[in-house]
Amino acid sequence: MEMIIGGAFQGKASYAEKMYPGIRWKKGAELSAEELFCAEGVLGFHEFIRREMQAERDTENLAEELIRRNPGIILVSDEVGYGVVPVDAFDRAYRERVGRICTELAAFSQKVTRVICGAGMVIKDV
Amino acid sequence: MMILVTGGSGSGKSAFAENCVVSLGSEKRIYIATMYPYDGESRKRVKRHRKMRAGKGFDTLECYTGLSGVHVPEGCTVLLECMSNLVANEMFREEGAHERTYDEITKGILHLKEQAAHLIVVTNEIFSEAVCYQGDTEEYRRCLGNINQFLAGQSDQAAEVVYGIPVYFKKSTEIPKITGEEKTDGGKL
Repeated sequence: MEMIIGGAFQGKASYAEKMYPGIRWKKGAELSAEELFCAEGVLGFHEFIRREMQAERDTENLAEELIRRNPGIILVSDEVGYGVVPVDAFDRAYRERVGRICTELAAFSQKVTRVICGAGMVIKDV
Repeated sequence: MMILVTGGSGSGKSAFAENCVVSLGSEKRIYIATMYPYDGESRKRVKRHRKMRAGKGFDTLECYTGLSGVHVPEGCTVLLECMSNLVANEMFREEGAHERTYDEITKGILHLKEQAAHLIVVTNEIFSEAVCYQGDTEEYRRCLGNINQFLAGQSDQAAEVVYGIPVYFKKSTEIPKITGEEKTDGGKL
């Protein structure tokens, strides 16, 4: 598993497409859980988490299940935890859940790259 | 030695900070808890953190305001979590320091440094978003930002934890880098 993370509009998708040219990418804003478990790569993984939470589906064990069922996936996700605590309870829960899931996945990933201004900074490579 | 641990929400700061404490050795461990349990959500949060700390040998000391008056055993290792709560308490709670928040907290940190062998402080990155704030919230951001700068200045090491991965922005050359990896005498992450 590999992850590409960073703030919004930093060129993460372009960076990912350049780094992994052979991959068929799916969009987090569109794909189903079953598609996630067999996807090669996902852009906007945080969007998937938001949709699952909006649909009130359980995301508690999402990271664990993804690790078990699709350990080779390439995930591209926004970092969303760098602001003042949101007033809205759903936003607060979503922000924290993205963090928890990505932290669990990052611990499992061989490589984690953070993209800032289009430039990739490898923060984990084992 | 002092270590500053910062990062976004849900980034694994606490787990990293706790493991820093454990890897620093077996002196007396004090956890300074700053989150006031004012509603169900914060009580749940406190519970989650207690569970994470269980088995790591911490004595918990609650401090919602008045850090400069806190006494800890000589030579202990202190983990203070989280600065963002302490600043909010001092600014907005009735018994808080209000406009003297910066002075009260910086004094408290220096006082802790004098007493403890090691001090680890967890704070929060809340400074990168598009929303514009005014009034109290903006004042809070300014105060926490200034305190974070003070903390980094006082620290021997400072790391931003990104999804559990420490990215160091300050490293002392004499001190070996703390990996924050879990040691066997601790609880489970």
